[in-house]
Amino acid sequence: MSENNPYIPMPVEISKIIDEVDTHDIKTFRFTFVNKDDEQKFVYLPGQFAELSIYGKGESPIGIASAPTDAGYVEFTVQRAGAILPGLVTSALHDMDEGGRIGLRGPLGHSWPIEFLEKKNIVVVGGGFAFTTLRSLVKYMLHKDNRSRFGDITVIYGARTPGLLCYKDELAAWEKRSDIKTIITVDKGNETWTGREGFVPAVCKDVAPSPENAVAVICGPPVMIKFTLPVFFELGFSKENILTSLEMRMKCGIGKCGRCNVGYKYVCSDGPVFSLAELEDLPRDF
Amino acid sequence: MLVLKKTTIDKLPELAACLMEKGTLVAPVKEAGGFNFRAITDAAQVDLIFHNTILSPKTVFFPQTEDFVRYSVYQPILEAKPVEPEIRPTFLFGVRPCDVKSFEIMDIHFTRTGVPDPYWRKRRDATIIFGFAFDTSEEADPAEFYHTLGIGAADPDGSDVFMLRRDDVLFLKAVSPRGENLLGGLAGLTDAAPDERKYFDDYIAQGHDYKTRYTCVDAEAIAKEFEAIFHNTDFWTKVSNACLSCGICTFVCPTCYCFDICDETQFGQGVRRRVWDACMFTDFTLEASGHNPRTQVYQRLRQKICHKYSFHIRKYGPISCVGCGRCTRYCPVNIDIFSIVEQAVQAKWYKRM
Amino acid sequence: MAISFEQIEQHLKTEALKLLESGKVILVLAYGRGYDANHPMPYVAKHPSDVDNIVFNEYCTANLARYLTRYPRRTKIAIAVKAADSRAVVQLIQEDKVCREDLVVLGIPVYGMKNFKTGEVIDSKTTGGLYNPVLYDILLGEEVHGQPVSSPYDVLAAYEAMDKEERWAFWQRELGRCIRCYACRKACPMCYCDPCFIDQNKPKWGEKSPESPGNLMYHLTRFHHLAGRCIDCGECSRACPVDIPLYLFHKKVAKDCEEMFGQAAGMSIGDKPVLVNFRVDDSDKILE
Repeated sequence: MSENNPYIPMPVEISKIIDEVDTHDIKTFRFTFVNKDDEQKFVYLPGQFAELSIYGKGESPIGIASAPTDAGYVEFTVQRAGAILPGLVTSALHDMDEGGRIGLRGPLGHSWPIEFLEKKNIVVVGGGFAFTTLRSLVKYMLHKDNRSRFGDITVIYGARTPGLLCYKDELAAWEKRSDIKTIITVDKGNETWTGREGFVPAVCKDVAPSPENAVAVICGPPVMIKFTLPVFFELGFSKENILTSLEMRMKCGIGKCGRCNVGYKYVCSDGPVFSLAELEDLPRDF
Repeated sequence: MLVLKKTTIDKLPELAACLMEKGTLVAPVKEAGGFNFRAITDAAQVDLIFHNTILSPKTVFFPQTEDFVRYSVYQPILEAKPVEPEIRPTFLFGVRPCDVKSFEIMDIHFTRTGVPDPYWRKRRDATIIFGFAFDTSEEADPAEFYHTLGIGAADPDGSDVFMLRRDDVLFLKAVSPRGENLLGGLAGLTDAAPDERKYFDDYIAQGHDYKTRYTCVDAEAIAKEFEAIFHNTDFWTKVSNACLSCGICTFVCPTCYCFDICDETQFGQGVRRRVWDACMFTDFTLEASGHNPRTQVYQRLRQKICHKYSFHIRKYGPISCVGCGRCTRYCPVNIDIFSIVEQAVQAKWYKRM
Repeated sequence: MAISFEQIEQHLKTEALKLLESGKVILVLAYGRGYDANHPMPYVAKHPSDVDNIVFNEYCTANLARYLTRYPRRTKIAIAVKAADSRAVVQLIQEDKVCREDLVVLGIPVYGMKNFKTGEVIDSKTTGGLYNPVLYDILLGEEVHGQPVSSPYDVLAAYEAMDKEERWAFWQRELGRCIRCYACRKACPMCYCDPCFIDQNKPKWGEKSPESPGNLMYHLTRFHHLAGRCIDCGECSRACPVDIPLYLFHKKVAKDCEEMFGQAAGMSIGDKPVLVNFRVDDSDKILE
């Protein structure tokens, strides 16, 4: 019953743990596949997610943070969830060490529409910890085999404080490159911060990326999205050219258990990537 | 030409025993509160004297619990064993036409869209369905409304064998090649006479006209009506004032499919299984952050009804309802989905806006 | 004198109309017509024009007190209550979930209520056996007198004759049928906890599937959470789609509680909830 059974996870092993933020509750876990066939079958594109499974605790849907161009491993950036209801899986994962093994089901969902993005200028906007699948997208696009397929790439990424920025090393590397415009901001700096200060929506307005042949890919906490979208409408981006990724409580991740719908679409199997035009077709409320 | 066979009601236990030898026989059994489909252990239990069951026969393909993996929290993950469901050839005996139709609708969701669900598929493939016509000489049960969904009281579509009772005679007609194969191999059945064949065919035909509660519903139109009403909070509050937000309507419904995946552990040994869930439950959409998009009863009832009469249509085509009436019959406060649909069709509330 | 359900319905409509028109309440919890006359539904009247839809007949068994905790405090509500329902209102007032001043209690003295699923008459076997509301602002009929009075605990005779092993086997069998639909919890006016213990994850008190010991955990715990609070309306048992006789356990606990502490649930708004209230002369039997 384990052949082609979408409910049975495959075993993966933690090969590296990176502490991303100064509050130590967001870590990037790098996994290698225990079975080589699983690794070969795990073909994904940026934007997809997977269910991280720990028997006895449950499963948690997490966006894939590595890019398909990263060979031999897959990465997930996981926050120890839950202020009111402690997350069982994420807490257990955070307590694990390198060498620990968990289960993985995936890749799930639709990716960022790579074909749609080709030959266009891409504006990537992210806030806080929601940057993971955007990071996957940027890494993918920047790879030498892919860079020429895309136009200008602009990244606007903000966090509440400098310590809460994820992927700090990569951001620094991007800032040095000439084939990508990287704008990092924080809501509030500290003594050592020399970069920008400002909320992401305000920074977007300031940077004012051109809507000419451009697609905006926006991911972040609801409050950031709420104030960033009007900026892009004003700049002239049409609804088909603004993409985002939704999150709802999920269980099966394959569109069977009925939990994660917004209107007639299941966020797991019809999304999680949606254009704003598609979202207009769905109820504003759930 | 698929032949019509017959037997007598008092010889049903023999038929049942014959089927029990070939596999698992599942038929309606009288229990506290009503009837339910159960695996038969005593052939004498099978008498087909029932109107309809409490839980729908979806339990055969989509049981309330389905085990996925057995694990131990003290053992490494590689020791965890996927559970192989034990599925014998199964005979689902005495399924009303509305419930047979529900299987078709659920097939679209479970196996014909996206990743096929291996558990539904295996159980479905292993089962032969004996449909059973409603008694059209009786008045319709007030909760039912399958006529509205275009289902006849004696529709054989979807069954492998279709049965019809006339006094103490039970007619059985093969509808599918599997059904024909099976009937050919069953001892104790005799061929029906030509006038009996005519009775059977006439009965099926007039079953289409059998009047349950009826309102004219077109899938496309009703999907749009509910889309238009979605944000009308007054309508949904009014409709859900009595609703307890329990889970009975979901659990008895033949076309509801929501489930949860749970790791149930006791003293370190556990099983990951899927378990029925209901969008009517308060914590169905509760997120780890503590945020819940559907805290109010009206939001959950709206989700349920809009799923069945709008979202399912947009996503899969058919209305996700067969008018069996169970939700209404077993609702502790008598909420009536038919009248809610009627109100939307007549767009009373929408027009009031 | 036989109960005239039509008269009660008339009085209910009259009072509801007066209360809504005067603005004394913003909603009336009453009953309305369901898909046929024998299946009425709980109904909320908010406008004077809604009053026409109010009905009252022998099938109006729903305990409307369960809806009180849905509305924010200070909401002015009129509620139609029969005897047991009025006890629920009293208990909710004792537990400070609802304010006496926010309610206009329309008491319905009645006997001869019937279970709309089975048609059988509802008596002290499955409810508290009272006919007259214990609390009301307006009585919608004449008090019932002369009906045979039986103890709500008479039905426990067979149950109490069972020894420990038999009772354990009995409940394992009965609760094994449970499909965890939670209708019992939702039908109960006293089950207002958010979140309910069984829905919690840390700690997980019971598993979700009916195949697990979760059924026993859920029901046995719930029976005890209702000790001294259950007002014996029987709604849980009527709501159950698989006919589990929940009322037996509830009545047994209520009987023990009344014997030990001399107080029944929901009888007077001056009482304190029995298991919350400490009195020096409280029975020590529970420690034996």
